[in-house]
Amino acid sequence: MIKDKTEFQPFTPEPIRVLSDEGEWVAPFELDLDDATLKRLYAEMVAARMLDEKLTILIRTGKTSFIAPHMGHEGAHVAIANAVQKGFDWLFPYYRDMGLALAMGVPLVEIFGQMLGNAADPAKGRQMPSHTGSKALNIFTVGSAIASHVPPAAGAAISMKLRNTGQVTVCSFGDGATSEGDWHAGVNFAAVQGAPAVFVCENNRYAISVDLSHQTASHTIADKARAYGIPGYRVDGMDVLASYYVLKDVVERARTGHGTALVELEVYRYGPHSSADDDSRYRPKAEVEAAKKRDPIVRYRKFLEKQGLWDETAETELRARIAHDLDTALKQAEAAGEAPAEWMFEDVLSSRPWHLEEQRRVVLEELR
Amino acid sequence: MPTLTMIGAINTALSEEMSRDERVVLFGEDVGKRGGVFLATEGLQQKFGPDRVLDSPLSEAAIIGAAVGMAAHGLRPVAEVQFADYVFPGIDQLFSQAAKLRYRSGGQFTAPMVVRMPTGGGVKGGHHHSQSPEAHFAHTGGLKVVVVSTPYDTKGLLKSAVRDDDPVIFMEPKRLYRAVKEEVPEDDYLIPIGKAALRREGTDITLVSYGGSMVETLKAAEEMASAGINPEVIDLRSVMPWDKEAVLNSVAKTGRLLMISEAPHTASIASEVTATVSEELFDQLLAPATRVTGFDIPYPYAQDKLYMPTVTRILNAAKRVLDY
Repeated sequence: MIKDKTEFQPFTPEPIRVLSDEGEWVAPFELDLDDATLKRLYAEMVAARMLDEKLTILIRTGKTSFIAPHMGHEGAHVAIANAVQKGFDWLFPYYRDMGLALAMGVPLVEIFGQMLGNAADPAKGRQMPSHTGSKALNIFTVGSAIASHVPPAAGAAISMKLRNTGQVTVCSFGDGATSEGDWHAGVNFAAVQGAPAVFVCENNRYAISVDLSHQTASHTIADKARAYGIPGYRVDGMDVLASYYVLKDVVERARTGHGTALVELEVYRYGPHSSADDDSRYRPKAEVEAAKKRDPIVRYRKFLEKQGLWDETAETELRARIAHDLDTALKQAEAAGEAPAEWMFEDVLSSRPWHLEEQRRVVLEELR
Repeated sequence: MPTLTMIGAINTALSEEMSRDERVVLFGEDVGKRGGVFLATEGLQQKFGPDRVLDSPLSEAAIIGAAVGMAAHGLRPVAEVQFADYVFPGIDQLFSQAAKLRYRSGGQFTAPMVVRMPTGGGVKGGHHHSQSPEAHFAHTGGLKVVVVSTPYDTKGLLKSAVRDDDPVIFMEPKRLYRAVKEEVPEDDYLIPIGKAALRREGTDITLVSYGGSMVETLKAAEEMASAGINPEVIDLRSVMPWDKEAVLNSVAKTGRLLMISEAPHTASIASEVTATVSEELFDQLLAPATRVTGFDIPYPYAQDKLYMPTVTRILNAAKRVLDY
């Protein structure tokens, strides 16, 4: 049984799912989401998919230098975004979370600004593309160092507990991150403090080329939770409703004083690790094609159609609207122009000491 | 006016800052119930409760990383790393997170936090309880680094560090923890980060040092004075940013610089200070800007005192500079 009265069960032998591959409701409880919510989840997944396609065009046309494709992760992204209180709870994402950023409400123009590293980037062009963040939405700016955001996520959750703010920290990462020492350090500290932290593994089975069997001897990522004395939930991350239901439950448990939890969302990355990777070197095409049979968007559309909530007309309208939004935002971001050179020496420290002032003058003199 | 050791000054500064600002929290290994292995936080958990003075798991990555998240979320964490030698498991958190958060987020997120750590040799600690890793921190943009040498400075600089909006590495030479007592005012005074202290006014040679080596530097200065030489002595106190103005003004006056530090020789703070003086005061120098430092070897146990710049080594180097 995946759910006992009101709570989902941790450590289930099979991933928790509520939709079959054919989009049939298979859960042992009643669907209780309204039509608007059900349709919104779909629209957000399609937007995340179309964003990924747009980012691929950006790299192919030389407008950006790097992307970390998230195609296949859309169900996980939309589920996480809908399980939290946006702008109140804190999110500590990683670089394959651009779909999550979009679903959280990061404006498209900011996303494109970050992808272009230009003046439209609220982070002032400081990082490689696919590293988003937003103070307004409490989205901790992504860094590249794998799992290095896990201890800070624990710290934020401990702060929430110490000050009884009622907030929850959600921290996402890939399967490879769970091998890092920082991952262990952060999960352990949050757990021992009983902090309201939900650690979410978007397990796509590959850390660049290293497959899960070379990453961990654990049967599942969720199993790792046992060692920290916290519940670990194994979920079909390509089933947006299952992911949403479990995360919503776990986030609210964290909010009401039940401490830390780990959620494993089983997904699959359709694309390469990044635009600098060639995934044909380490996995057969047939495996990718097989994974696509569980596609979160195709499966969920079948479900919506069975509910009488979706049809081809709605699909066409939705895609046209998203395509328009993407084009408009990209144009707006492109129009912002290059990140000014003076930005280079800002935000190193709260004020500029003499040595940075001297170094800044070197650059300005060179550009004069 | 109370007389305090450096440990007493740390305890007082932390207690005052915690009373002043309820966002200030302390944590680290053994800082709570035990009051720290050097007793720097003694009595603070009893005074402020376990929600403000936390015993953390034995993990520097967790301690430093959690401080980043707490700070970003609005607390003012003061984390303790039990020995500077044990900061290395937390270096990813210090370098990848704390140092870069403000920059990588375009100023959206910041990490106003303090990481305290006992540093330096002289306590027969071997190479895992004696190192002086400040150059690593200074070499990473986005951190401030303070190394104290007196109880008075310790109180004023630690209070400044707690109130600073940037991550501050606060290094406490452990051999000075209980070496001296001095009068420390009960007032709420601050010493600015980045400002050196003039310890002795002189005209013949400028001795610049900081942290534990201030002891041997001042002793050497006294011996020089009794031999008729009049050295000026500067205590940097902060090594990132360091007080270039104070050093240049002094060397412009004396024409000679001897920089003393127990940290390893190559790519050190001493290298930075002597290189800067050579670059900027080349035509005013009467002798090469010279370093007396620790060595580029793992810190030895048996030769604990010999590793650090001794008074004899300082005097020998000073003689070379003066006779040049």
